[in-house]
Amino acid sequence: MLQVVLSGLAIGAIYGLVGMGFAIAFYVTRVINFAEGQLLMVGVMIAAAIARGGANPVLAVAGGIAAAGAAGVVTYLVAVKPVLAFDRFSFAWLVSTLGVALILQNVAAIIWGPTSRSFPTLLNGTGVHIGSATLTVQELLTIGVAVAMAAAFELVRKRTLFGKAGMAVAYDPEMASALGVDTGTMAIVAFAGAGIFAGVAGVLIGPITYSNPYLGNTYGIAGFVALMIGGTERPVGAMVGGLILGILEEAAKSLINTQASDWFPFVVVVAILLLMPEGVFSIGGRIRSLAGLRRSAGEAVS
Amino acid sequence: MRADVLSALRTGEAGAAGRRWALRWREPALVAALGVYLWFTYYVAHGTLYLQGLVLVAAVFAILAVSLDLVAGMAGLYSLGHAGLFALGAYGTTILYNDHHWNLFALLPASMVGVGLVGLVLGSLSLRVSGLYFAITTFIFTLVVTVLASDLKITGGYGGLIGPVFPGFPAGLHWLGQSLIWCGMLALLVAILISLGLRRSPLYPVLLAIRDAERFAAAAGARTALLKIGLFGVSAAMAGAAGWVFTFQGFISPGQFDWTVSVNILVMVILGGLNTTIGPVLGAAFVSMFPAQVNMNPFWQEVLFGGLFVGVIIVYPGGFVGLLENAGRWLVRSRSPAAPPAAAPSSPAGEPAPVRVAALESAALEGAERTRPPAVTPARSAAAGPPAVECRGVVFAYTRGVPVVNGVDLVVRKGSIHGLIGPNGSGKTTLVDLIAGRLKPLAGTIAVDGRQLERGGPPARARNGFMRTFQAPVLVRELSVGENVGVGLYSRVPRITPRAPVWPVLPGARRDGRRIREQANDALRLVGAERWRSSRIANVPHGIQQLTQLAAACVAGPSTVILDEPLAGLSPTEVEHVAEILGELKGTGMSVILIEHQPRFVFALCDEVTVLDAGEVVATGPAAEVRANARVREVYLGQ
Amino acid sequence: MNATAPVLEVSSLYAGYGRYDVVRDLNLHVAEGEAVALLGPNGAGKTTVLRAIMGLVKQRRGSIRIGGQELVRLPTHRIARGHAALVPEGRRLFLNQSVEDNLLLGAIHLRRDRRRVRELLDSVYDLFPLLRDVRGRSASALSGGQQQVVAIGRMLMSDPRVLLLDEPSLGLAPKAIDGVAAALDELRRRGRSLLLVEQRVDLALRVCDRVSVLAGGEIALEARAADVRAEERSLINAYLG
Repeated sequence: MLQVVLSGLAIGAIYGLVGMGFAIAFYVTRVINFAEGQLLMVGVMIAAAIARGGANPVLAVAGGIAAAGAAGVVTYLVAVKPVLAFDRFSFAWLVSTLGVALILQNVAAIIWGPTSRSFPTLLNGTGVHIGSATLTVQELLTIGVAVAMAAAFELVRKRTLFGKAGMAVAYDPEMASALGVDTGTMAIVAFAGAGIFAGVAGVLIGPITYSNPYLGNTYGIAGFVALMIGGTERPVGAMVGGLILGILEEAAKSLINTQASDWFPFVVVVAILLLMPEGVFSIGGRIRSLAGLRRSAGEAVS
Repeated sequence: MRADVLSALRTGEAGAAGRRWALRWREPALVAALGVYLWFTYYVAHGTLYLQGLVLVAAVFAILAVSLDLVAGMAGLYSLGHAGLFALGAYGTTILYNDHHWNLFALLPASMVGVGLVGLVLGSLSLRVSGLYFAITTFIFTLVVTVLASDLKITGGYGGLIGPVFPGFPAGLHWLGQSLIWCGMLALLVAILISLGLRRSPLYPVLLAIRDAERFAAAAGARTALLKIGLFGVSAAMAGAAGWVFTFQGFISPGQFDWTVSVNILVMVILGGLNTTIGPVLGAAFVSMFPAQVNMNPFWQEVLFGGLFVGVIIVYPGGFVGLLENAGRWLVRSRSPAAPPAAAPSSPAGEPAPVRVAALESAALEGAERTRPPAVTPARSAAAGPPAVECRGVVFAYTRGVPVVNGVDLVVRKGSIHGLIGPNGSGKTTLVDLIAGRLKPLAGTIAVDGRQLERGGPPARARNGFMRTFQAPVLVRELSVGENVGVGLYSRVPRITPRAPVWPVLPGARRDGRRIREQANDALRLVGAERWRSSRIANVPHGIQQLTQLAAACVAGPSTVILDEPLAGLSPTEVEHVAEILGELKGTGMSVILIEHQPRFVFALCDEVTVLDAGEVVATGPAAEVRANARVREVYLGQ
Repeated sequence: MNATAPVLEVSSLYAGYGRYDVVRDLNLHVAEGEAVALLGPNGAGKTTVLRAIMGLVKQRRGSIRIGGQELVRLPTHRIARGHAALVPEGRRLFLNQSVEDNLLLGAIHLRRDRRRVRELLDSVYDLFPLLRDVRGRSASALSGGQQQVVAIGRMLMSDPRVLLLDEPSLGLAPKAIDGVAAALDELRRRGRSLLLVEQRVDLALRVCDRVSVLAGGEIALEARAADVRAEERSLINAYLG
């Protein structure tokens, strides 16, 4: 049982990081970045390429993460900003971010080929015993990093002035700009963050999956499901969603059969969404809207 | 003349003939397009197997794209569940044919009905969740269907099933070529015609109103929830039909129906042009055929593909159709904004705008009035019968604690104009929402025409001869003034919903459509805005939007009408004009409740006035009395 | 009235949201230390004028100068950095944050100058002692009148040259309106420049030096408040009937 939970947390941490990438971009811009999974892939491929070039593995990892962050910013500038400038309510970003995903995936296939290639391993596969369960050092590191990043993000969001400005932009972007917050810069930072989170997830999972241009699809969808479980109220919810998803997967694998990890998590997600369509963290928002405190600013009360 | 028009509106007969829409020139173009389509089908039906496979798949996806556009474009419901519906149609057909030997052609309606019912359920979810969350919920639906298809034995698991073989033409029709191609292309043609029919029917403005201006649609009598769900059912039935056709191309497997397919269909719709008849078809053709056509390194091809996605949608947010519209407006039903009338925009009657008043500053200080009060129709004694509206002890609060309406009594006599005034925040609009059925009182009773319509909300009120307007005009921006007014007739058009998909071919329907246009024109003439009839609401000044609302409320000849600040934002000339119209309405026996901020008009026009402050009635009674009431001056002027 | 250049000068302003402008060829000015009320019926364009000054209305042309600086080409977040600040209709506080956080966000463009932010915060607390008591509470827990005070404080935190208020009395009980009026009085005494959109004529006359009446997108009447108070009937006749 403990093994299920711990192994679930390890894979769930990856899902959570990608999910937070989705969530951060959505939080600030209200756009679902369909290229988020590909940002993870960029992190993996660049790190692998740098390592193959003979550089220090730490440098490779840092380069991969930075590249993913940069790719996030480029995605915003090319596929999101022009669309939002035209009409904040159209779904055109669905098409444009999907286009970016196709481009990133296939450019990677052109440069590095469509098959898997090596990825530098920073840590060996030695196991660590925790109670009756075993985790590799890599898995422990993954959980640690993910939790640390989620905690750091939440701290910045709630405790720093910059984070509070971000909350303001998420809550009422027009009012935030009327106070002097540059919402364009906020969006760029958000997409850079989305890339960095995905890049970190990539360099953590790289040793297991090797570098492969099609990683974006699998992890992208998993991250998106993590976002849905956690809800869009707070980005940290996506991390929790990812961890839950990972545990559900492991539980299905061990309790039912290996194939069940495909469908069992989705059944649970369906149940959650039917009860709480806005994710598990939406309860606060529900109460507030019942209390009628969210009335559109334009309607005069008469 | 005006009284005639008004009474004609009340009795529902066509008034003086308005102008006909000059659509005749469109019909030959459509016939020509149909000819090209059939020729193309014939050509492919004799073509290579490769071409046939390509075109068949493209046709199936075009049907799916058209079906998705019905709900995404017309109703604003972005569904990612259409791949799942597609799968249900395909698997249902294959399993029932292979294992239970159903008749192949009976499976088409069976598939449509079955998947249509699932669509009704899925569509009803849209009432609980909206926008992004609805997309997510339908996305999950597709996932569930795919996973079930992968793991159940009956569906053949990952390997899938082999589909039925489509029978060839009987001996006499062999010359037509491959029958399957005709099957697919005709199915697509039907789907396009349904979409076209809906778009040309009077239901279309109502659907757009549900999407963009739901309060307006509900106030006009549309049961918005049922219409949305029904539309989703029709869309799902179409997807089921697509599934049926798809089975004949050989085999079906879960990988052909996963969530990426749902996203692809949505991409086809957006890329082709959302909410157009032909856009989804163009988008489907492009997305499904492009990868096969371009002869280059497959990776570079995908890069180009992705680049086109980004490029097209950023430069032409309206998709391919937007691109075509820019190039030349002829294939599609386009709306060119009418040139504004030659008269000054601020005065529909054509008089010059009022003189700017820095110079009148001193004149005002000397007590000179800036404009004359409107000509006053002598107040008539009200007709006998139950009051038009009767509220007793009505209480309402949005949050616990602070009542916005606090024990209000209001009696509006039939055939009178009743003014409702009070400062902003006094609860006027909330009271109107309560009377109109949008809100339910926490306590007290409300009777309209002697009946307490507990359930049914605004649509029930509309069907019983009660209409209202909104403080800030709630209209469909992309439609014209005339089309918006037509929405107001929704409850008066017999069997509008069932006839909508085939509207253009039903003779009775065309006559009804003409009548709707004529009545809308009459209503616009009544308010003096008829020259704006073809202009899009988005391009029309605020004053004309107000007049459009007024026309939409009156066009069905209601017995009671509530006007929420109809004078807001109007220039003084326009205000006089509306005041005249209100006087005439009163003359026909209509009961009018008027919320307004300009007390001088209220007191001049109304028989009785009720003054509200902080949710309570401060004074009520004949206009002259209320005007002289000291407390009223206090409430307004804070003296 | 002193003869210095106006701190806010709006000339030939056209602003709107669609094909037709809601505000047409509008001219108005506010002198340093003056409070001007913009009155008029709903839909006349009063809110549009304030939003245009803040840059929230994309479609605008003409000239808007504050302290001589032309604002019409600037994006909103630059205008908010010391030129003008807005208390919008309905207040629009960040209800998911505390009172003090709402105030601090008002000074976000001054965040590098910690001392100045501290000073501004203290001066706001001095002006509105009740805020000091509730500084840690969530903004959603306050009453309408209290939220209005927070919104005014937030506006002051950006230390703007011109204060813009859109219907501060909306939805408030009479006692709360008194509180708001008193706060605005105090701001006047301290020499701030104000442009106030209001529906309640009494509040406008109490607080302001001048009133302008906007109808149909254009200025219909301008007068000094003192004159109007003395000759009440004229304004009442011209505007209210």
